[in-house]
Amino acid sequence: MVADWAGDNLVRLPGRGGREPEDMADDNTIMVQRTLRSGQSLQFEGNVVILGDVNPGAEVVATGNVVVMGSLRGVVHAGAEGDSSAAVYAFRLQPTQLRIANRITRAPDGEQSFSTTPEVARIRDGMVVIESFQTGPERQG
Amino acid sequence: MGEVIVVTSGKGGVGKTTTSANLGAGLASAGSRVCLIDADIGLRNLDVVMGLENRIVYDLVDVTSGNCSFRKALIKDKRFDNLFLMPAAQTKDKTAVNPAQMEALCSEIKDDFDYVLIDCPAGIEQGFRNAIAGADQAVVVTTPEVSAVRDADRIIGLLEKEDLREPKLIVNRMRHQMVKHGDMMSIDDIIEILAIDLLGVVPEDELVVVSTNRGEMVVLNNNSKSGQAYRNIVRRIRGEDVPMMNLEDSGLFDKIRRIIGLK
Amino acid sequence: MLDFINRIFGRESSSSKNVAKERLRLVLVHDRAGVSPELLESLKADLINVISNYMEIDKDGLEVSLDSSENQVALVANIPVKKMKRKFQTESA
Repeated sequence: MVADWAGDNLVRLPGRGGREPEDMADDNTIMVQRTLRSGQSLQFEGNVVILGDVNPGAEVVATGNVVVMGSLRGVVHAGAEGDSSAAVYAFRLQPTQLRIANRITRAPDGEQSFSTTPEVARIRDGMVVIESFQTGPERQG
Repeated sequence: MGEVIVVTSGKGGVGKTTTSANLGAGLASAGSRVCLIDADIGLRNLDVVMGLENRIVYDLVDVTSGNCSFRKALIKDKRFDNLFLMPAAQTKDKTAVNPAQMEALCSEIKDDFDYVLIDCPAGIEQGFRNAIAGADQAVVVTTPEVSAVRDADRIIGLLEKEDLREPKLIVNRMRHQMVKHGDMMSIDDIIEILAIDLLGVVPEDELVVVSTNRGEMVVLNNNSKSGQAYRNIVRRIRGEDVPMMNLEDSGLFDKIRRIIGLK
Repeated sequence: MLDFINRIFGRESSSSKNVAKERLRLVLVHDRAGVSPELLESLKADLINVISNYMEIDKDGLEVSLDSSENQVALVANIPVKKMKRKFQTESA
């Protein structure tokens, strides 16, 4: 798996989530500057940032958070070793299947989300919830 | 104890996966307990054709390498309670499984089912050998094109060598109009060359594409000709004697020809 | 014109399906026998060598092919003979 390493403080997402960005950024973050295609699998102990898409048939497994700066259509697993505070962020969150810690979710049959805003998936009260993820002080929508 | 049937073709793109999915769904809707195994490791497709891609947690390689039991990896179909899918691994390759493991898996699975259908990958290498290892019978899919028929012939030879004798033939994507104009080999031409029993003929049908787009199977569509063809094949697999479907719709020229005695 | 009429009425004399069938038949003979063209060439050369001991043959007109009937494949050699040699080489030696 070709991956480009970046140093500390890589992730600077002004998040409104349960975790502050400072918590997310540490040495264990990998940055991947390409699209993951069907059959490709990225597994990493730490956070994963993908500057590209995750296509159907590809999978990303991280013990920490997963950030996709593109469309996430494949399988994603955040908090793969049981960290239920892990989250999945994507510009377009349309995963085939989304797993956080030991929870496995998929879109209900016959429903497809066509959200055009960035979204975040995380566990709240034991359930995986997906919320739109707004950046900056000026919120849209 | 069930029967293990491998669906194979040699050439890619002739409709192995579509045939597997439709026969599986057809057999299940007729009441049989069916397990479909996607043996195309690294290029899995049966899950998307059946619309089950978002339910996969474990796969064939997890089972053969002992990570989980086969029952845990089986995905229940959303339409039939008696139809199950064993998905292939997508992030591994053919060498992740060997024929001995497949044989062991098939003999374990077939106790639980009436039919186990194996969707074989294209080619004649390890993926093919894996797929046929545990099979009791073989169905060869071809289309009426020289390349597909030639590869079917090669596959039939290899199957016979592996003691999968008397494979049955399905001719897919038949276009009757072209046959009538002498621009496509007819069923008789193909049978004459391959010299094996015909299990069925599936006409070219746009509804197959539409169904596949939606993750549905055309065999469940009562208004389609290809669906009817698949249902007939299902009945033949279940041991019924069903006459071959008449794909002919007699057109104007047929009548003229008959009148002036050219036919 | 005749071709046109044939097409309209679906006659099959030169139709593409017959071409397909014939090509397939030829290809499969080789596939089934597992014989490569190189092997046939080398067989041809050996045949010429042996037969030349006994008769004069037209080397360019020599044809060797595999033919199939039912489930059998037969080796068919068509060897035009120019003239018989008067004496076998083995005797004259």
